[in-house]
Amino acid sequence: MLNFLAVVVLLLSAAPDFTNDKIDHTFIISFNNKVGNNDLHLDSQNYRNSFGEIFTVHQFKYYISNIELRDSISGDSEKFPDKYFLIDEGDSMSKIISLNTSLPHITSIKFMIGVDSLKNVSGVQSGDLDPAKGMFWTWNTGYIMAKLEGESPSAQTAGHRFSFHAGGYKKDENTARVVVLKLPQQQRNNVMIEADAAKWFDALHEIKIEAAPACHEPGKLAVMLADNYSEMFSIPQNK
Amino acid sequence: MKIYKAVILIIFFVIAGISWIGRNNMSERTHLLKFVVPEGWPQPVYDFKNNPLTEEGFQLGRKLFYDGRLSKDGNFPCASCHQQFAAFATYDHSLSHGFHNSLTRRNAPGLFNMAWQKEFMWDGGINHLDLQPLAPISDTMEMAENINDVIQKLRSDEEYRKMFKAAFGDEIINTQRMTKALSQFVLMMVSNNSKYDRVMRGEDSFNLPQKLGYDIFKQKCASCHAEPLFTDLSYRNTGFPVDSFLMDYGRMKITRNAGDSLKFKVPSLRNAQVTFPYSHDGRMFSLLSMMDHYRKSVVKSPTTDSLVKNGIKLSNFEIGQLTAFIYTLTDSVLLRDTRFAPPGYEKRTQQAPAEHQHIYKQ
Ligand code: HEC
Ligand code: HEC
Repeated sequence: MLNFLAVVVLLLSAAPDFTNDKIDHTFIISFNNKVGNNDLHLDSQNYRNSFGEIFTVHQFKYYISNIELRDSISGDSEKFPDKYFLIDEGDSMSKIISLNTSLPHITSIKFMIGVDSLKNVSGVQSGDLDPAKGMFWTWNTGYIMAKLEGESPSAQTAGHRFSFHAGGYKKDENTARVVVLKLPQQQRNNVMIEADAAKWFDALHEIKIEAAPACHEPGKLAVMLADNYSEMFSIPQNK
Repeated sequence: MKIYKAVILIIFFVIAGISWIGRNNMSERTHLLKFVVPEGWPQPVYDFKNNPLTEEGFQLGRKLFYDGRLSKDGNFPCASCHQQFAAFATYDHSLSHGFHNSLTRRNAPGLFNMAWQKEFMWDGGINHLDLQPLAPISDTMEMAENINDVIQKLRSDEEYRKMFKAAFGDEIINTQRMTKALSQFVLMMVSNNSKYDRVMRGEDSFNLPQKLGYDIFKQKCASCHAEPLFTDLSYRNTGFPVDSFLMDYGRMKITRNAGDSLKFKVPSLRNAQVTFPYSHDGRMFSLLSMMDHYRKSVVKSPTTDSLVKNGIKLSNFEIGQLTAFIYTLTDSVLLRDTRFAPPGYEKRTQQAPAEHQHIYKQ
């Protein structure tokens, strides 16, 4: 029903009316997950991190929230405080975010990778924040902000599995990160953001699979992973 | 173009109107339940605005609480570990039984006065009552993946679809609604009808041992087991050495701060008469052994609480009086309240289960 209402509103807003630039329209953000220069393919492909460790990726998921679109030409910006998106490499629909905005020329985008602390202390949420999505620690409350799992001969674990579950929302253990990206050229309708999983190992801290094959609780390792993944996003030129 | 817009607008208003009428119908169907804060108690911390208590939500929570389908093999509903006659602790079990002959890692605490608690579990690892059911439902400690299975089971059950609709307005069944309903049921378990409470209200009076026990209690125990909840909800190390098999360091696991090593949440002493065995891993089998620990076997470590570091001086006589007082904290009204019995219980009998009646005497 709500969906239907949304469609009606959309139709209304889409009815052409060119006298004013500032009309509601959809802005689509699509995520393209990569490892270095290669596209990410779950399970099937071997990758190599900068330490020469070979690995496959079994799961790659992260929350995107608190999005803000900015229009530096008019100086306006628009926030989307109550929207939380779980980007899951295994679910292609999840990699496309659609927002309703009136900003005519979007020049930069700010967002959080992870879930803000408020939603970590407010009980059980629904939608993409539903704990049933498996991005939640039930014994030590908190969201897993981002998850990278796979196999690597360097992991001295059962099945040579490595699993980085980065979470933690408290002071000094926060793993949510704010990212600001400038668009190469202003956009009205869409932007594509690349996320490079290889950055998890080396962007700001060196994290070798051999030394740390698992992160399953908040703390130092999770924070280092968070620092690293805060660097994984970019917007490619001319696409 | 104008006609096109007008038509869409009309459709919009019709739909908005229908949904508005629908909303009104829904609120007529649910019956609000009143949560009464006992006189002189602090305000509860649970946010009722986000989960208004209704008779329909409560009854749904009750069904869920007693439904084995919330566990993997169907044998372990909440009520298997949280038994009403034990004030919703596990009666006479140091650790509770779970899936596949496993035991829980900790002693199941009684469930009452949860509306006043901000953090749950012995180590306070869970920060909201609504989240608590997810810990036992998900069988691995790491992932919440089989919550989905539970939700699927509920969705395929027509009775549940009806009850979710009655409680929440439509048939949507999700984690949030399931846990909210469970919370509604648990929140109503307020324990404030023990003899102690009646005495405080001026409706009854202590006998001599109880009165002496109360005085000793206020001196030696109440700084942690603070009235009226009989816990200050802080985390303390009372000098129990770590169990070499369980290796449970309590609060430290949550804060990763060595200063929290071996600290556990101060448990309420309400209904302690029926929640034995005691302590976070149930290693103490009686009130006597618990008090013996305080006076004889407190292990000193850097985090041992200064109030118990050198033991609490207690004579045998004082232990007797304290025990008499602690028995006045048994809330037979809660233990027998048929609202918290399995669904349909009222129809079967108006009486409490006979085999456990003896424990209500004091
Ligand atoms: C297998 C036994 C078992 C089952 C089943 C079980 N619990 Fe528990 N419950 C426990 C144990 C043990 C603890 C203490 C855990 C800890 O501190 O680590 C506990 C703690 C709790 C607490 C926190 C109490 C406090 O004072 O912090 C609540 C609330 C609770 N359970 C509710 C439920 C609900 C609701 C269900 C059903 C969805 C349920 N439990 C199912 C054993 C169980
Ligand atoms: C320093 C704070 C403190 C003081 C003082 C204190 N207690 Fe405790 N009490 C605790 C904590 C913490 C626990 C849980 C210990 C654990 O499981 O590791 C506990 C557990 C208990 C239990 C077991 C309850 C249960 O459900 O498992 C009883 C009974 C008890 N205390 C009685 C007393 C009595 C009687 C006194 C006074 C003589 C007293 N306590 C003084 C902090 C305190």
